[in-house]
Amino acid sequence: MVRLDINEMSTRDVNQKLRELILQDDEIVVENPHSVHNFATALKGKGTITVEGSTGFYTGGFLQGPTAIIKGNTGWYTGDNMGDGELIVGMNTGSNCAPSMGGGTILVKGHSGSRAGWGMKGGNLIICGNAGLWSGKMTMGGRIIILGTVGRGIGESMYRGIIHVLDPEVEDKLGGNVMVVPIEDKEKREVETLFKKYGIEQAVDGFRSIVPKVYGRHEYFLFKPTHQQTGAQS
Amino acid sequence: MTEKERKPRAKDVQRGIWNQEAIAEVKYKADMGKHRIRGCGSTKKYPTFDDLLILPSQLSRLSIDTYREDCKTQTVLGARYAKKPLVVETPILISGMSYGALSKEAKTALAKSTQTVGTSINNGEGGLLPGESENSYKQVVQITPSRMGFSLRNIEAADALELVTGIGAKPGLAGHLMGNKITKEIAEFRQLPEGIDLHSHPRHGDIFGADDMVLKVEELRDVTDYEIPIFVKIAAGRVREDVKIAVKTGVDGIVIDGAEAGTGAAPVVASTHLGIPILPGLVQGARALEEMGVKEEVSLIVSGGIKDGADVAKALALGADAVAIGTGAMVAMGCVVCLRCHEGKCAYGIGTQDSELRKRLDTDAAAQRVANYIQGMTYEAVILAKAAGKTALANMEREDLRSLTLEACAMTGTPLAGTNFAFTEPFGFF
Repeated sequence: MVRLDINEMSTRDVNQKLRELILQDDEIVVENPHSVHNFATALKGKGTITVEGSTGFYTGGFLQGPTAIIKGNTGWYTGDNMGDGELIVGMNTGSNCAPSMGGGTILVKGHSGSRAGWGMKGGNLIICGNAGLWSGKMTMGGRIIILGTVGRGIGESMYRGIIHVLDPEVEDKLGGNVMVVPIEDKEKREVETLFKKYGIEQAVDGFRSIVPKVYGRHEYFLFKPTHQQTGAQS
Repeated sequence: MTEKERKPRAKDVQRGIWNQEAIAEVKYKADMGKHRIRGCGSTKKYPTFDDLLILPSQLSRLSIDTYREDCKTQTVLGARYAKKPLVVETPILISGMSYGALSKEAKTALAKSTQTVGTSINNGEGGLLPGESENSYKQVVQITPSRMGFSLRNIEAADALELVTGIGAKPGLAGHLMGNKITKEIAEFRQLPEGIDLHSHPRHGDIFGADDMVLKVEELRDVTDYEIPIFVKIAAGRVREDVKIAVKTGVDGIVIDGAEAGTGAAPVVASTHLGIPILPGLVQGARALEEMGVKEEVSLIVSGGIKDGADVAKALALGADAVAIGTGAMVAMGCVVCLRCHEGKCAYGIGTQDSELRKRLDTDAAAQRVANYIQGMTYEAVILAKAAGKTALANMEREDLRSLTLEACAMTGTPLAGTNFAFTEPFGFF
């Protein structure tokens, strides 16, 4: 194990040092992160980086293999464009967690802000707490699991992918062009496997899934006339 | 005069506002209850580079021998911070057009043409086609809001990145790709359901504002290790403000896309009424860079309606470092600008995914025609530059131009032909 104090280091130096260290050691512990932005950008290879504190925006962006454990919070855009590996956030994330994520797993042990999984294309995003509005907007793949309550507009215009939720009121918060369906046995097993791997104590029976209504084109609206609350076009 | 002669026939009366197009648009909306989608972008009449003239060298300066003396065309873009700037042999680049909007054959042909003339191609939205990156001389990779087909691998294959904020044909709107072009192959490439109409994200999911973009550019620098240039592409609108913000985000270059720019599909109302033409857009962009004192370090690339070498020479004179072409390159391959790209039934195998129609495009012949076109445009630009006394295209300057119309004079601050006076000078051209 190697310890790295980044108190006096620039973001660029931090990432360059991490790239060097990850080739030499399986375990890196980072001290004094002080919510540094762009932490662990495009890190490749294997190994585990544990951060004793919180990191800022774009934590683990383009991550490509290693496991990054942030014991505190992370800022907006956590795990943006992540391709592989694991990103484990001990507390909460800001908004837009996992935007355009392509692979790997992001585990948020606390809550996540709005628009988690925006345009996600692959991998797993697990949020143990609550998620804000518009989670899973326009996803093109991957799996989002939300154990807490969800905000309105969940799954808005998903193209592909799946969102598993426990929130009993999800039908009232559903975005356009998606529907709620029972979770399938195969999916339950997959979720159980993930929960077991990350030590999440939660039964999977209560989950339901949000999936895209896929047909010729999405329904959309350009405006909502207040006198009749319509205007939807297809 | 007979009664018949006194009373003009309705069809012979000039209609003004209620012309055939306006009537057709009313009827379309009355039938469909929605706006019209169309390919190719705006058909509006804009002020063009043809409204400017280049002053030839006579006694006040010497011209360069057209056929016996050199004129440098090699262009270096994005040298502000990147270790390896984009070096091309002509200031004419091929702009972002997606695999999906265009056929695989068309994209491959465009890529091959860049090898012949030594320029760059831009992949557009929707992923990087192997046939494109394998055949391109220099590869620009777009980072679009949808990130379809985008990954770290794309960045690693790039000679430059282009962070797209907007495009001239539908600024403020998302990419449109109609279901008839989302074939099985395109669906897999973009991770979309087959046959669905795509209206992608208008905003980046990981950039909600200019402050975030500063961090995003820093992140991309880290990803690329400062090796390759990062450009930002904006649609011409509030150009002065947008350029100043872009400079502060730390990019190496700015692409300004004018309202003339083409597209595979867009709401007609957006193409026609959003954004400003490239002529004032370019001037505002160049002046904004000058105001900030970074004109020499931040590259300025313009696109939208560039059709010939005269446009190139004039764009460079107004302050651009390079231009990018789209529709012109498609026309060189056979496109007739029928405005029906969105239908996916391009008879020339260019804007289609139909396997039978695609066979009509001979990739090698099309590549040669695009290369010829770019070479011919470069020749034209060189002829004009030499006549203006330049030994490098980049030496074209604002002082070499005069305006033919009051409109061009007003929009560009270029003095009216025969004078040294630009009547909007007190306005500061903005």
